[in-house]
Amino acid sequence: MVRSTYEKRVARQLLLILSPSLLLLLAFVIYPAVYSVYLSFTNEALTGAAALNPRFVGLRNYSRLLHDAKFWNSLLVTFFFVVGSAIIGQFVLGLISAILLRRDLAFKQLFSSIILLPNAAPEVVAGFMWISMLAGGENATLSRIVMFFGMTPTDWLQTFPLTMIIVVNTWRGIATAMILLTAGLSTIPSEVYEAARMDGANPSQIFRRITLPLMMPTILLYMLISAVSTIAVFGLVYALTRGGPGGATEVISIYIYNQSFTAFQLGYGAAVAVVALAISLVLGIAYVRAMKVQV
Amino acid sequence: MTDFALDKPGKSRRPDLLAYATLSLISAFCAVPFFWVLLASLDGNAQLFLSWPREWTLNNYVRVFAEEDGARWVFNSLFVVGSATLLVMVLAGLGGYALSRTRAWWKQPFLYAILLIRVLPPTALVVPLYKILLTLNNIEGNLVRIFVGGDTARAIMRWIGFIDGYLGLILVLATMQLPLALWIMKTFFDGLPRDYEEAAVMDGATMLQRIRRVLIPLALPGLAAAGLFAFISAWGDFLLPLILLSSPELQTLPLGLFRAFLRVNTIDYGFLAALAFIYLMPAVIAFGFARRFLVQTFSGGVKG
Amino acid sequence: MINLRNVRKFYGALEVIKGVDITVEDGEFAVFVGPSGCGKSTLLRMIAGLEGIDDGDLILNGKRINDVPPDKRGIAMVFQSYALYPHMTVAENIGFSLSLKKVPVAEINRQVGDVAEILQLTDYLDRRPAALSGGQRQRVAIGRAIIKKPSLILFDEPLSNLDSALRVQMRAELQRLHRELKATVVYVTHDQVEAMTMADRIVVLNKGTVAQAGHPMDLYHSPDNEFVATFIGSPKMNILPVTLSRPEPEKIRLENADGLSISLADGDAGVATGEAKLGIRPEHLKVSPGGQGDFSAEVVIVERLGVETYLAVGSPKDPIVVRAEGDLSIRPGDRVSLTVDLSACHLFDSSGRVIRRPQTL
Repeated sequence: MVRSTYEKRVARQLLLILSPSLLLLLAFVIYPAVYSVYLSFTNEALTGAAALNPRFVGLRNYSRLLHDAKFWNSLLVTFFFVVGSAIIGQFVLGLISAILLRRDLAFKQLFSSIILLPNAAPEVVAGFMWISMLAGGENATLSRIVMFFGMTPTDWLQTFPLTMIIVVNTWRGIATAMILLTAGLSTIPSEVYEAARMDGANPSQIFRRITLPLMMPTILLYMLISAVSTIAVFGLVYALTRGGPGGATEVISIYIYNQSFTAFQLGYGAAVAVVALAISLVLGIAYVRAMKVQV
Repeated sequence: MTDFALDKPGKSRRPDLLAYATLSLISAFCAVPFFWVLLASLDGNAQLFLSWPREWTLNNYVRVFAEEDGARWVFNSLFVVGSATLLVMVLAGLGGYALSRTRAWWKQPFLYAILLIRVLPPTALVVPLYKILLTLNNIEGNLVRIFVGGDTARAIMRWIGFIDGYLGLILVLATMQLPLALWIMKTFFDGLPRDYEEAAVMDGATMLQRIRRVLIPLALPGLAAAGLFAFISAWGDFLLPLILLSSPELQTLPLGLFRAFLRVNTIDYGFLAALAFIYLMPAVIAFGFARRFLVQTFSGGVKG
Repeated sequence: MINLRNVRKFYGALEVIKGVDITVEDGEFAVFVGPSGCGKSTLLRMIAGLEGIDDGDLILNGKRINDVPPDKRGIAMVFQSYALYPHMTVAENIGFSLSLKKVPVAEINRQVGDVAEILQLTDYLDRRPAALSGGQRQRVAIGRAIIKKPSLILFDEPLSNLDSALRVQMRAELQRLHRELKATVVYVTHDQVEAMTMADRIVVLNKGTVAQAGHPMDLYHSPDNEFVATFIGSPKMNILPVTLSRPEPEKIRLENADGLSISLADGDAGVATGEAKLGIRPEHLKVSPGGQGDFSAEVVIVERLGVETYLAVGSPKDPIVVRAEGDLSIRPGDRVSLTVDLSACHLFDSSGRVIRRPQTL
């Protein structure tokens, strides 16, 4: 590929203006990530015998993982958490909102603003708001609502911890789903819907055979983004349950946190993190494959 | 507009009760948790659970600023996040342009790398990050102390230090927002025809001139979108300040909020709510502005 | 046969279709033509059932179908952008309406195959729309329409997305299909050339009303009003403001400020004197040698096409266009003398209504 000196100069200049970003990312993201991977192969810890003398232990952390019941529990919890909130909760509510808000209704701006609100709330505030909703037994807001309908309340975060964090994360993420799905919906030209009307399709048929297939790329993209970012959720769950009771809501990011900062097993914590990374990568690859099939 | 009320010819606009009901339910679900923050912040005797205030007062807000370091927290948050946002906008503006226009070999791998980065759970990065920053901080601290004595050095490090210093926090916050911002700007520039730049080249402009005088004005919508998203995301970040800051002068809003919640004696919920509301506001306002850009930005991404 | 009787439509308080009456006979190729905003597409969509009819009747084969849903009217539509389903193959696109009614797959395939043969799409049945050319996509859209065996096919500006060479080809294609299928067609376009060449019946629309309807040549030679006169025919008919006087009972004289003075025979005493407009097509003005014409004017633009020459004479802002046979050696700035073909004069009153049609002398 012979390139003129002009082109080479341009390429160099472009690289130059990209380099500050490159530098920052390398220093503060890539290097820590690589270092984490390295850590996972050591027995580095902040207390105990290994603290003074960290050694390279190869795959021992990983084999420990495989036999660690708490690790598998954490994976299971994370799985339910992701499927419940991102794949089902946010998606369904987001899709419904996206479709309904395309119609000619009054108060559209109001509705969409309110639905976007939870996403705007910083994690810490979101955590507090839901503590107020869920903690305190009978005084919790949810309890009051439930009692209004004649049912008995309970200490929500104790009795239904996993369900509750799924609900809270769904609440937080409807906005993302709605935005992405709205963008996807808008790529379908309205004349296609009219042609379908002329062909005699009823609303359910239109949805199943036209809207959904044409939206597949967007839906897949959404699934990937939301699954991956849900795996990374930490603050929200920690504020509500700290991973309890008894590990019932110990999602993988909390498990990593507990291992690294409570048990101070840095090497082991890093190993778990690498597993989480690997899972995310697998999802990413699955997405790319699915997209190839699409087109 | 797709209207699924299809059994009448033409566009029938019969009031769709089901749509209104569903949207109202979803909106209610989204809005209810916010009530507590609003009401408790105005309540003289606020509790953790939702209750209609018996005494309405603005005292909680006053206390945030008068008795506690509210003003300092607000300033720190605005300064740190604001600076980080500006930094992101500049770097992503330039970098996004480079990514869009380059045909170099490293383009594709870099783009994939950016996507992959977002996949890492932040808790995993925290410890190594801290180590790096500590090292950098020590080097820097030693350098500074060569020139100035103890107290002045401390004051200077407050600003340019990596641990417990504004610079470090700003840089790291900015770095975390770079992947998304670069992606947004790259997509944006992809959609911008090269005609404008080529005309400028014909007029004899250097790359820097082209960027400054032609591209930046054109790129403003993309920059605004990227900036708003970066701001919202950095504003909500509390893990990084938690890890990197310790001196009281540098505390940001989320930390103040967090600490208020950890009080040993009875938690002052009114105060908490007021603080939470103050913390909430900029994010909500930014979100309000960002709305316009949301669909545009993601449509581009969906297609590309 | 399709019939629109006093059809009206409002957008809020704005009346966009103002009492339209149109009849299209079975097997006819009817073209709705008019400038942007005249309501032709709206009318088409009202016939299709995509827009509601606020007043009046839409009657198809004797039945009033105002309230019948679009898919039950026996009407098919080819959209301007073709609106093919991007994720389905050509075969699936064409067969979609049948698959909705749960027709057995074998039967669908058979019918799709038949349609594909008529449209020469058999080799493309497995392709997706993105892999087709503009002309092929249009044929798929037509296929989707005709498989429903409709009583009426609607076309919404189908050729406007194609380049000009393809457009000429597709015009012939569409006419061939029309003859072969013996279908009734309502076709909307803004291009009067398309209208003139393809239509059995033209309906010229202007601001929500029918300006005139009839056979293309009738509209060309005998327009009812100034709008139709200037809309049909390219280059446009010249309209000259004249003063009409009646020097003798059976004659009228037309004069204008440029020295025009012609006399026409006219037994109709009802034609009022005063201000009027003379309409004369470019081909009915002749360049006469040295001062012997009905009036003279300065040449502003000369367009030499070899087989014919077009002259724009008079005022540059509002020139009179003259068409001459062959190649004339005239230059801009020359002064020419023009003769009016008296058997081709159209007279309109100041409101644009025709008051005298061309007659043989």
